[in-house]
Amino acid sequence: MYMGTIITVKAYGKNADKAADKVFKRISELEEILTVNDTGSEIDDLNDMAGIVEVKLSSDSLYVLNKAKEYAELSEGAFDVTIGPLVKAWNIGTDNPRVPLKDEIDELLKLVDFRDLKIDNANHTAYLARRGQMVDLGGIAKGYAGDEAIKVLKENGIESALVNLGGNVVVLGSKPDGNLWTVGIQNPREAAGKYLGTISVRDKAVVSSGDYERYFMKDGVRYHHILDPRTGYPADSGLISTTIIADSAIDADALSTSVFVLGLENGMKLVESLDGVEAVFVTEDKKVYVTEGLKDIFIFYQEDSKDFTYVEER
Amino acid sequence: MLKKGDFLLVILILAATVAAFAGIRYFKNDAGGHKIAVIKQDNKVIREIDLDRVEEPERITLTGKYNNKILVEKGRIRFEESDCPDLVCVHTGWLDERGSSAACLPNKVVVVIQGGNNEVDAGTY
Repeated sequence: MYMGTIITVKAYGKNADKAADKVFKRISELEEILTVNDTGSEIDDLNDMAGIVEVKLSSDSLYVLNKAKEYAELSEGAFDVTIGPLVKAWNIGTDNPRVPLKDEIDELLKLVDFRDLKIDNANHTAYLARRGQMVDLGGIAKGYAGDEAIKVLKENGIESALVNLGGNVVVLGSKPDGNLWTVGIQNPREAAGKYLGTISVRDKAVVSSGDYERYFMKDGVRYHHILDPRTGYPADSGLISTTIIADSAIDADALSTSVFVLGLENGMKLVESLDGVEAVFVTEDKKVYVTEGLKDIFIFYQEDSKDFTYVEER
Repeated sequence: MLKKGDFLLVILILAATVAAFAGIRYFKNDAGGHKIAVIKQDNKVIREIDLDRVEEPERITLTGKYNNKILVEKGRIRFEESDCPDLVCVHTGWLDERGSSAACLPNKVVVVIQGGNNEVDAGTY
């Protein structure tokens, strides 16, 4: 999965300009550390040394990897950052996406297991147990960057801000006029900027995952970028989009991917079991479901989303 | 896969107001105004088009690392063709509402319809 790309920072207050500048720097720094590339980020080192030796990591990497394991356990493997070898094989979002052969997928699937990611927090190291294993932080790094952006803004005295990091929206405080921030949830079957509905929040992260973000078509089949770590294929859980509202963006990011893979029933169960987390689910038969806590907050755009049905009672 | 460069292709849109006193209304687009599409490459404005005044469809070709063809019609605009790797720009489809945008990051091109949904501060995707 690609990292998001356009970053919008709306910061209000005295040092807004400077603060936003620092946000940009911090995000560039995180890119250097967390992305998978061929020039040697920390995560590249971890992958290169798979099955060989543990590698020293910054506290940023360690934090993200620990969170990744936490969500792997919570989702029972529906979210798994050791999906790397399959992400590479499918190559979705690059110039050469392809449908790997079944045999190849089965072979690579053997390398996917978050339990093989050993983290030694005391010594600031991590280790992938087997050769060929690869971590890909696509489902979580952007969330962490969102949280760090808010942290930088706060440190610079900003009390009201909105950061949109490639579709991950994180808000600090309320709007300058005191109102809540209104966040639109992308309609998964309409053009960008057309919303299924809105929610109004303060101090929250709102993150969506969907089959519409990155995909390629082959023989009439849509192959999207959210791979199911249990099958090796794009998740086919009956959902076309999930949105998580949580206090932190890293949680929202990891959870939106997790529940997308888990599907409506299990995804809903997981979200309802967590404090302070709400969700919007959209199924492929175009039904929209929300968690209990969102029922009073979610505003469904009936007029603009005629193909969709908002299911208030399940 | 997360790749280097994705993070760097960042457009920092900064809406920093002078003060954050309660009661100060931040900029809102005039809902009755025309829809203005802005095409930017390398963060520089290439074209501004009043979509409400488009009479005949127009195609704009942008070169760079890749080639983008942008199609403009009355009230709307889209990436029609591109030889970039991911085709996210083309997949985004038509833009016809204020605040909506499409980007070809490999070619560093962004198309945005100015203003923004009056009720929505930001959208997920």
